[in-house]
Amino acid sequence: MSPTSPVALPWGRRYLMCPPEHFEVVYEINPWMHREVKVAPDAAVEQWEQLRATLQTAGATVELMPAEPGAPDLVFTANAGLVSGRTFVPSRFHHPERQVETPHDVAWFRAAGYDIRKLPAGVEHEGAGDALPFAGALVSGYRFRSDLRAATELSALLGCPVRSVELVDQRLYHLDLTLCPLDDRRAICAPSGWDRYGQRVIASLVPEPLELTAEEALTFCANSVVVGNAVVMPACPLRVGRRLEGWGFDVEVCPVGEFIKAGGGCRCLTLALDVALGPAEAPLDDGGRARG
Amino acid sequence: MASETVVLEGHIVDSLILAKVLDQILESGAEYEVVDFDMGRTNLDPSRAVIDVSAGDPDELDRLLADLHQHGVNRADVTDAQLEECRVDGVLPAGFYATTNLETDVHTGGRWQSVVNPEMDCAVVVGDEVRTVPMHRVRAGDRVVMGETGVRVHPLRPASGATVFEFMSSDVSSEKPKALMTRRVAERMRSGRERDARILAVCGPAVVHTGGSPHLARLVRAGWVDVLFAGNGFATHDIESNVLGTSLGVSVERGSQTEGGHSNHLRVINEVRRHGSIAAAVDIGYVGGGVMYECVRQRVPFVLGGSVRDDGPLPDVITDVVEAADRMRAELTGVGVALMLATTLHAVATGNLLPATVETFCVDINQAVVTKLADRGSHQARGIVTDVGPFLGDLADELGAR
Repeated sequence: MSPTSPVALPWGRRYLMCPPEHFEVVYEINPWMHREVKVAPDAAVEQWEQLRATLQTAGATVELMPAEPGAPDLVFTANAGLVSGRTFVPSRFHHPERQVETPHDVAWFRAAGYDIRKLPAGVEHEGAGDALPFAGALVSGYRFRSDLRAATELSALLGCPVRSVELVDQRLYHLDLTLCPLDDRRAICAPSGWDRYGQRVIASLVPEPLELTAEEALTFCANSVVVGNAVVMPACPLRVGRRLEGWGFDVEVCPVGEFIKAGGGCRCLTLALDVALGPAEAPLDDGGRARG
Repeated sequence: MASETVVLEGHIVDSLILAKVLDQILESGAEYEVVDFDMGRTNLDPSRAVIDVSAGDPDELDRLLADLHQHGVNRADVTDAQLEECRVDGVLPAGFYATTNLETDVHTGGRWQSVVNPEMDCAVVVGDEVRTVPMHRVRAGDRVVMGETGVRVHPLRPASGATVFEFMSSDVSSEKPKALMTRRVAERMRSGRERDARILAVCGPAVVHTGGSPHLARLVRAGWVDVLFAGNGFATHDIESNVLGTSLGVSVERGSQTEGGHSNHLRVINEVRRHGSIAAAVDIGYVGGGVMYECVRQRVPFVLGGSVRDDGPLPDVITDVVEAADRMRAELTGVGVALMLATTLHAVATGNLLPATVETFCVDINQAVVTKLADRGSHQARGIVTDVGPFLGDLADELGAR
């Protein structure tokens, strides 16, 4: 008997990105950031453009939000918030340095026709950086940037079950550095980033994990963007690439070294806009109008 | 011991957060009791657990709760108990909280504090520690807990390894294998001894009438009794039987009435009064054996509480009943096992003073005594319906008392 055939992700064809015009490392809020390590602006623009082009070539559409001076990490749109259908839940950032981004994020989504639904004051959550949909649930990381209690709030705001996973490695400070859904059965997983309960929660959700070693996880290879059959990765250890190709995925390595200086890879630079979490949700189409 | 009620809510089941929190409590050396759990109806509904967490001391508890906070554990919103000062010595403010004999905590100063000496029908006074205080002992200025807000009572839990409780949990009945029950009482006494609990014997005169006195004396001599409560009758007949060989005039050897025996107990009381105390009568050689003799010799403290029916009484009998109860209270520290031996009034009086955590065995030929004890609130009492004399013989043999 052949195993159950995997079904491609129902999301990941439309992304929001923000050009790196004002991107630089001016503060240190994760172990990767060092103010003395300067960003090369031209290289950053070049890498970002290549990422956008790769996503588009893979079949995704990319929408842009304008960069803002004084908000260097606005480029990491994954952290803007969570999208489900026509609802946008803006992040409540842990660090004051990033809290300046939220008004810009809210303005863009409001203008695009989304309902803005906010987390209660004091409940921190860093959007798609710390929460990814898989198997009908939203998997949400907590501890370094997001509060556990955000899970209950997100479930109520978005109408979907939420599974929480405790993150334990400061270097893998967001969930999207440890988990990358590939299709409805498979995901790149970095168990070294989770506590033993989180490992069990993911094991119960993901039938066929591609488990990374701790060393592989630190290449940011889980911080990849999946567009249908294409996996757009900031780096790809040989073993991981072989496994992905063995499963039938096309691996596209898209180096984003300038952004890794700030602790972000390909996934961090994108926010999927076509996610529908609740049963009644339908994603907004390209024109910004709700589907019927 | 410090404890706190905490609430954990959200998607705590599928995400194994509840399992993690409970594991973490145990791994830290603390303990928990889930006092309420409301499971979400669907995978979208949050679940809610209310958990009592107990740790060795307040600092340990604070550290644990700080660690658990990141997993969504918050202190439950508990209101402090309302306190009111006594205005007059011996008079409680109206509306005072009336205690049970169960383990009780009072929320005061933002945390739960255990009542150090649970006792039924008292008030609770909050000072450096939280204590039960009987009405007549409160003093003007004492801060008394009012109403039930901020008070919680723990249901009775079986003592460690206390299979005897399961064994004897059916209604008290004479239809029980006596030898087995005697062995189980002996086991509980041994277990109490192992955990440094004191053993209390509460005795009625029937102990002497039924020939149990020499066996109880053996138990005292062998160190199986740490404190003894009785009345004038028990002590008198114990001494009478050793000095004159009769109990209430009846020969303890032959079981027959002796001539002039009806006054024997009066003559004995009179002689002990002449010596000034039971201890003095023992020291001078007037009393040469028996339970009271062994208590004096082994320095086992005893409290003899008086009543209006008493002849004499013996000089050691405390005729002020309030003072007698206070003396009994003072002797209860550390008591973990209580044997109520063929006595109704002293069993009920002692039961009123005992915390429910004290393993209590009530031995009486009349099963109504056990029922009465339970009816007065000593629900922990387990009954053995049997003749106390042979029971004490078997118990002393079982414990190897010579």
